[in-house]
Amino acid sequence: MSRLQFRTLFFGFLLAMTQIPAFAETVAIVGVTAHTNTQKGTLYDATVLIDGERILAVGTDVEIPEDARLIEATGSIVTPGFMNSASHLGLTEVSSVDSTSDYSVEGGPLGAAFDVQYALNANSELVALARSDGLARAVSIPERAAVAPFAGLGALLHLRSGPSILQQPRIGLFVEIGGQTSDESGGSRSAQWVILRRALDEAGRLRRNSRSIPSRDSYFSRYDLETLQEVSDGEMPLIIGADRESDIHQAIRLKQEYGIRIVLRGGAEAWLVADELAAASIPVVIDPSFNLPQYFDQLNVRDDSAAILQKAGVLISFKVSSIHTSYDSGFTLREVAGIAVSNGLDYSAALKALTINAAETWQISDHYGTLQAGKDADVVIWDGDPLEPSTLPVAIFVNGTQISQQTRQTRLRDRYHPNRN
Amino acid sequence: MRLPTLEGLPRGFFGAAYLSLLFASSHAFGTETQDVATAPERNAYRSTYTPKPDVDTLIVNATVLDGNGSRLNGVDVSLSDGKIVAIGPDLVVEEGVRMIDATGRWVTPGLIDVHSHNGTFSLPLTEDSIQDISEVSAPVVANTWIEHAVNVQDPAFYLALAGGVTTLQILPGSAPLIGGRSVVVKPIKANTVFDMKFPGAPYGLKMACGENPKGNFGSKGMAPTSRQGEIAMLRETWSQAQAYLHNSRNKGGDEAEIKSRDFKMETLAGVLSGEIRVHLHCYRASDIAVMFAVANEFDYKIAAVHHAVEAYKVPELFKENDACAAVWSDWWGFKMEARDAIRENAAFVDAAGACVLMHSDSPSVGQRLNLEAAKAMAAGRKAGLKISPERAIVWITRHPARTLGLEDRIGQVAVGYNADVVIWSGDPFSIYSKADQVFVDGALHFDRRNKQQRSYSDIALRSGNAGGSHE
Repeated sequence: MSRLQFRTLFFGFLLAMTQIPAFAETVAIVGVTAHTNTQKGTLYDATVLIDGERILAVGTDVEIPEDARLIEATGSIVTPGFMNSASHLGLTEVSSVDSTSDYSVEGGPLGAAFDVQYALNANSELVALARSDGLARAVSIPERAAVAPFAGLGALLHLRSGPSILQQPRIGLFVEIGGQTSDESGGSRSAQWVILRRALDEAGRLRRNSRSIPSRDSYFSRYDLETLQEVSDGEMPLIIGADRESDIHQAIRLKQEYGIRIVLRGGAEAWLVADELAAASIPVVIDPSFNLPQYFDQLNVRDDSAAILQKAGVLISFKVSSIHTSYDSGFTLREVAGIAVSNGLDYSAALKALTINAAETWQISDHYGTLQAGKDADVVIWDGDPLEPSTLPVAIFVNGTQISQQTRQTRLRDRYHPNRN
Repeated sequence: MRLPTLEGLPRGFFGAAYLSLLFASSHAFGTETQDVATAPERNAYRSTYTPKPDVDTLIVNATVLDGNGSRLNGVDVSLSDGKIVAIGPDLVVEEGVRMIDATGRWVTPGLIDVHSHNGTFSLPLTEDSIQDISEVSAPVVANTWIEHAVNVQDPAFYLALAGGVTTLQILPGSAPLIGGRSVVVKPIKANTVFDMKFPGAPYGLKMACGENPKGNFGSKGMAPTSRQGEIAMLRETWSQAQAYLHNSRNKGGDEAEIKSRDFKMETLAGVLSGEIRVHLHCYRASDIAVMFAVANEFDYKIAAVHHAVEAYKVPELFKENDACAAVWSDWWGFKMEARDAIRENAAFVDAAGACVLMHSDSPSVGQRLNLEAAKAMAAGRKAGLKISPERAIVWITRHPARTLGLEDRIGQVAVGYNADVVIWSGDPFSIYSKADQVFVDGALHFDRRNKQQRSYSDIALRSGNAGGSHE
């Protein structure tokens, strides 16, 4: 057991937390195994030097400044903070309580133009918990908008402590295709594709003549078409939620015909189309633990989808399903990554799916996703293999600041602890 | 059940009724023993399960977590005629016995899931398959039996088996206050539910408290519309059951008159007479206390409180009432009564000396109960409690067996117990470990090394050109 790990055991942990400066500083984390996600691979007995909001150096011969706070974490494992590519963080508190949930609209004027960025709540207990589980970044996604098949615009979060977790709004336009939602477009998935294609066509016409307004009989509002222009111009990706092989082929075809950026979300049957997805450079956001034919669109789901996609050269990143889309979206993310490894995914590929692959999917790899000089200091020290449920994060830096691991749930834990005084 | 996304579920599709089903899980079980509750059914709905014929097996040099708190290193386990017949070092290999080298591997009892909706919320989900989890035309449907609805082709059964589960209890959902009888089954290849049914397992009765019953029926303009309405209805119902039981025990000898049977009352009387075990869906500490009070007023027992996310606040109630808390490792937050869930729940209840176990309520969790226990154990350790693997395995073996009334037959690797045994590829609490071989009553029902082995569900069959054949 490392000294750091020992110190974090329960009551000692509380004490240690009180000593964390709530600002960026110079920190040297020494003696660790560092999974860099770069060509350097895994470094042993390494030092990770953080200076302010950036990583200053990573290596085995790093000179440590005199004023640096030294964290001796011998034998611990260090990774970048992880990234969840499809969550509802910041958009819900108690999902059955409508007044606390902001990720979908079923009425009003907004289709593609529904944008979740203005609803983000940095004080959400779900955000604090995800952060304390080692999650540094997330895409928070809309689930439904008033004009199907559009769900709206997602936001990229940087889970810093403090009032602002929004890093980049309008990270992509989300659509939902398939049997679960086709009734919202009249009852056929073909209608979903027709509406999506018509919308892109109209947005293109609007671009060519920017003074024109949508024709009087347009199905789409100006708000929605202006949003779609950004997709057709390649300024932001279209994220297609789909599972069935036929729909994934349609997504590839859409990319070829319209020349737009596309990300596939879900993809239960994506493994059947792995080579085509790789050739088309379409990244896939999947829950690699999902192996149930929950709906007909997912009949051919299998355990080792992530491994098959990765071997085919598809850029994969992870999300989690069901209630963990919102709750435990950090804790469960590493669990599903471990399950992917147990089903054949290469270990280092799993760590990349949790970090740099997500960064590349969302085009933020210039500053996030690796342990490398110049990158944002999103750094987690783990007391063991981060993919094992028994492993705990012992220190978490987001944007160079060590964050508190106290959450509402740890306060409940302490209040009801069997050994409390 | 909550398998599919709670919030992310296909909204326009299942709608409110679906959500109410999801939120409504709770459960019950049953027995096939005595007069009042079950005698007439013993023949009509009896188990037709027969163990699969197989040779005897000797598992050699395993690390055994026996389910009763012990860890045995480097021992052999002998399975013969459906029972565990010997455990120890260097057992003699008889001729004709299948010998399995378990060096470096771990052996546990078959896992037991006391909260499954497999077969009654069948995959793939359809408008049809989601209706069968509960009868929701009335809040008291004690006359319903979940075994009358089980679709044995649900692929979730196979996934549970492949995850080391050898016994599971199928429960009605938690929309009704009193949701009907459970059934205990083995997740094996079978053509009818009766071929899966655990011989002689007690029945359970599913009950529910809190948000689900009032939310489901209140929204239809029916009673109950509130927590107090729920309790009022329960007390009236149990009072009727007491009268029914009293009258049925005191009726005269010859009955010239033929009366129709009251199936609701037969089941409820079965609870009052101790033949049927109550499985209660209840989250919040205050609700749990009220439900124990009702049970005490009418003198019946609650075997387990399922989803008891606030059990850690009142572990003494579980000790006083000799009941178990059936919990998740980390589900929380999706409704108000689940908001105070903490990951240390199981560890804290265990540390207080009360009975705790992990349950699934979902086919995704139901194939990874070992990870449920792993996460709960890790949380307890983080909070400074000492929890060994040999302790945590009890939460998914002996304790669930106890709540089912089957603790003398399953849940332990011990001589005389049913040979429900799992050989794991490694430490069962590691994310990388898998169930390699799964034995049910001594017969090998799952073998990961068999590359031909595929889901036995008919759902998994495909035509030659469909996706499943792309491999």
